[in-house]
Amino acid sequence: MKQLIQLTVNGEPHEVRVEPWKTLLEVIRDDIGLTGPKEACSTGECSACTVLLNGKPVNSCLVLAVEAQGKEISTIEGLSQSNQLHPLQDAFIRHGAIQCGFCTPGMLLSAKALLDENPQPTEEEIREAISGNLCRCTGYNKIVEAILEVAQSQ
Amino acid sequence: MAIPKLGYLLKLPKFDHLEAKTIEEACSLLAKYKGKARVIAGGTDLLVSMKGREISPQYIINIKAIPNLDGINYSRKDGLVIGAMTTLAAIESSPIIGEGFPILSSAAHQTGSPHIRNIGTIGGNLCNAAPSADMPPSLIGLEAKAKIKGLTGERAVTVEQFFLGPGVSALKAGEILTEVQVPNPPPHTRGVYLKLPARTAIDIAVVGVAVVVTLDTKGVNIADAKIVLGAVASTPIRARQAEDIIKGKALDDELIQKAAQAAADEAKPISDVRGSASYRKEMVKVLTNRALKQATTQEG
Repeated sequence: MKQLIQLTVNGEPHEVRVEPWKTLLEVIRDDIGLTGPKEACSTGECSACTVLLNGKPVNSCLVLAVEAQGKEISTIEGLSQSNQLHPLQDAFIRHGAIQCGFCTPGMLLSAKALLDENPQPTEEEIREAISGNLCRCTGYNKIVEAILEVAQSQ
Repeated sequence: MAIPKLGYLLKLPKFDHLEAKTIEEACSLLAKYKGKARVIAGGTDLLVSMKGREISPQYIINIKAIPNLDGINYSRKDGLVIGAMTTLAAIESSPIIGEGFPILSSAAHQTGSPHIRNIGTIGGNLCNAAPSADMPPSLIGLEAKAKIKGLTGERAVTVEQFFLGPGVSALKAGEILTEVQVPNPPPHTRGVYLKLPARTAIDIAVVGVAVVVTLDTKGVNIADAKIVLGAVASTPIRARQAEDIIKGKALDDELIQKAAQAAADEAKPISDVRGSASYRKEMVKVLTNRALKQATTQEG
């Protein structure tokens, strides 16, 4: 039995009919068509599926879509504005903080949520904020450096 | 925790999703669909178990829309009251808890990842009754109580008595946990929660040790002590012999070592993929030793 839900995704309202067992991740990818959030572990351990739910990073693979009714969701697709990369995206590219790219949407959203709440984080706070996001390529240092640079230039 | 099957993505089994607007409605639904329904709080444990097909409830009862189940309240008289639906992130960042109950901020901080803590709740952490859960040892050390509501009324049990076995809590059919009540600790009380693996996001505890000690008015002898072990028995357990060893005495290295050894002897761990029984016992000794030292030397 499908239920009608309203979601605001990257500032745009969406109405979708969803089955109750569909995760927010499945609905964002399959119904709304935004494939930025990735599914990897499906169990909340890798955070490749990170979206911001009312501004806070969550694992969208562990949120039921029907329970996101009325909420504001940000995905990586909403980060750049009028074809201008977000400063975090720009810094990730310049620092080589992207290799295969699979963790990158989640990393960027975790970093954005951190800087929105705490514009001048310490390196330790940055490492803490991305501690749920697994990256198998970069060894994390370049990611931390990229976030630190954006924080220091703000 | 389910081990993901490789080769395809994990989908949830089918279920009906029911919205409870009041506690009474939630309890009625639970009683009506006895054995076929599960309450969803944050869902960070429940949905993982369902994806792994450890459980496949026919009905999921959402209690997030019930008013007043979420929040942190403090009064000098009654102490701390944490609503069951309060997220671990809210507990971690609460100034009230950081000031008066820092062991709870620390335990919340050591649970899951920031993402998990943004949706995972203290109620879910308790009701899943995982022996490795991070909040219970500290709550037991602080003599917290679990307030339970059902169709016929409400009751409270100590958090220590709340756990009956792995995945089994004291909740009966048609009951839900509504809040956790933490009394004001006596003056000169300090608590420390340590876990292995230390400061590693996401991993569940291989061993968790909470130590809550109260010094006498002179600040010398141990007036009261609670040593609570997680992930080394079918429920979180008190190491009562270890507690008795240090009560009434001034702590020194030798006494701390004796208590730590007693705690290790009281642990009844199993061997699994995360650690062998003998390793867990050894780590109970190490963490108890470390936690007692930290609790009796930290400022505050």
